[in-house]
Amino acid sequence: MPELWELSVEETARRVRGREVSASEVLESCLARTARVEPLVGAYLELFEDEARARAAEIDRRIAAREDAGLLAGVPVALKDNLNLKGHALTCASRILAGYVAPYTATAVERLLAAGAVPVGRANMDEFAMGSSCENSAYQPTRNPWDLTAVPGGSSGGPAAAVAAGSVPLSMGSDTGGSVRQPAALCGLVGVKPTYGRVSRYGLVAFASSTDQIGPIARNVRDAALGLQVIAGADPNDSTCSEEPVGDYLAGIEEGIAGLRIGVIREADPSRLGGATADNWRESLDRLARLGAELVEVSVPSLDAAVAIYYVIATSEASANLARFDGVRYGHRSERADNLTDLYFESRGEGFGPEVKRRVMLGTFALSSGYYEAYYGRARGVLERMRHELGSALERADLLVTPTTPSAAFRLGEKVDDPLAMYLSDVFTTPASLVGLPAVAVPSGLDEQGLPLSFQVMGKPFGEAAVFRACRAFEREVGWVVAPSFKGAEAG
Amino acid sequence: MALTHEDVRKIATLARLRFTPEEEAKLTGQLAKIVDYIDQLQAYEGAEPAAAAQGVRELEDRPHGCLSREEFLANAPASMDAFLLVPEVKAEAGKGGGHA
Repeated sequence: MPELWELSVEETARRVRGREVSASEVLESCLARTARVEPLVGAYLELFEDEARARAAEIDRRIAAREDAGLLAGVPVALKDNLNLKGHALTCASRILAGYVAPYTATAVERLLAAGAVPVGRANMDEFAMGSSCENSAYQPTRNPWDLTAVPGGSSGGPAAAVAAGSVPLSMGSDTGGSVRQPAALCGLVGVKPTYGRVSRYGLVAFASSTDQIGPIARNVRDAALGLQVIAGADPNDSTCSEEPVGDYLAGIEEGIAGLRIGVIREADPSRLGGATADNWRESLDRLARLGAELVEVSVPSLDAAVAIYYVIATSEASANLARFDGVRYGHRSERADNLTDLYFESRGEGFGPEVKRRVMLGTFALSSGYYEAYYGRARGVLERMRHELGSALERADLLVTPTTPSAAFRLGEKVDDPLAMYLSDVFTTPASLVGLPAVAVPSGLDEQGLPLSFQVMGKPFGEAAVFRACRAFEREVGWVVAPSFKGAEAG
Repeated sequence: MALTHEDVRKIATLARLRFTPEEEAKLTGQLAKIVDYIDQLQAYEGAEPAAAAQGVRELEDRPHGCLSREEFLANAPASMDAFLLVPEVKAEAGKGGGHA
């Protein structure tokens, strides 16, 4: 018999609704597991056990009273610390938001609560979601449950590590250029970046508004699909959130991919990288062929420019979005300033960490007079070219595939002093973000050191159902079991 | 382009950020390397954006509820009665805008 914390999201909710187990029992199992693994992993900035217990008890009351307890009845979830939950601290893992208390709840989080989910804590992240290793958190590093000397990925490193470690079966992250998919990949999990506009951004702290999307992280594809099912859909509080109807993601998820045309992007072929990623990539394509998919080669020449485009567009938007942190209305205020201008400089200087400053600088540069056309304007133009190219590729193929990351998890500290090397780990995830396509990372095996590798499936806008279907077929073929070894933990 | 210390100082002022000379030296090197990488975009031919942005609709301009003043001010670093409190606004800022 598996422990309750080991159950899938789907199975947990099914048993809780069927009164086979109570939401409180599930929660206690997850909290006990969390108490064991959290000292090793450091996935959370804050746990709110008492409130979670009260919420679980409330769900048990609803079920006892024969009320509908929801799709996620009694499912413990971790929330990335850039999602507002009213009455709770929210820091974006930044000193500049120390002491901030969320005055309202994000739409996606409201929907989780309405579906019976039980938030257990605020999960760690790279400061303001800027990073690919979680090392840019102002508060603590988070470690990869597969190897405690490795990074969990970022920026949603805390949400990914929490799920991989077995603390919770589901978490919510945000993905701006790969921040859900890359940590899911490095932690051997399924991570979803929905179509831009599929999920409301209301209550998600803005980083790059034209690509930010909230997405679930789970141990298997069905659970990830269920997570998106709950949070997706129109919201009057976000004008970029689409009114496109949300389909039933689980309905056809087991139907397989026989006959589907899957586009293999020539420019994303990792063979030139060599090593485990290249071997695993060929193996993954063989799996798709065995499943009956028709593989077609497609070309997206602008793909090589994705990281360059992304780091202009995203930093430009970030420099504008983060202008609001000025020490006046909320957040950290410097005590060293005696006039308003100095207040801005000192508060921001004390409050922001190095990577945030770097990106605000880069974005300010790209938007500044004299450089705007050459940088921001040029990046927009090449982005449009990429949109055309990916659109053409998706006319020839139903889905597109790439590796999720160029390598498995890297060592803590390995890329800290080389921001460009860190940025380049986003090469395969940024295109779907820039163009707004749905993309899901699904585990594809292990490298020679026993660290997870990952495969990415991209779809047409609002084509999440087809992406999930392909990922589910792939997952069945791989026969993946999330079993991190906590390598590096002291015995006992 | 080759990013200089002077460029970095100018951008820092625009961004309302200030750096120590050591930070500035490190940052100049890092930003120069990143901008150098981004310069590859010059080799690509751009394309025109599609006529209408996909899936974005205009919201009806209708009054609706928002945070109360109390809720808003609860997160303010300093307030007095119903107002945000800030230090004196001087025409000649002591250090602001300059380089530390």
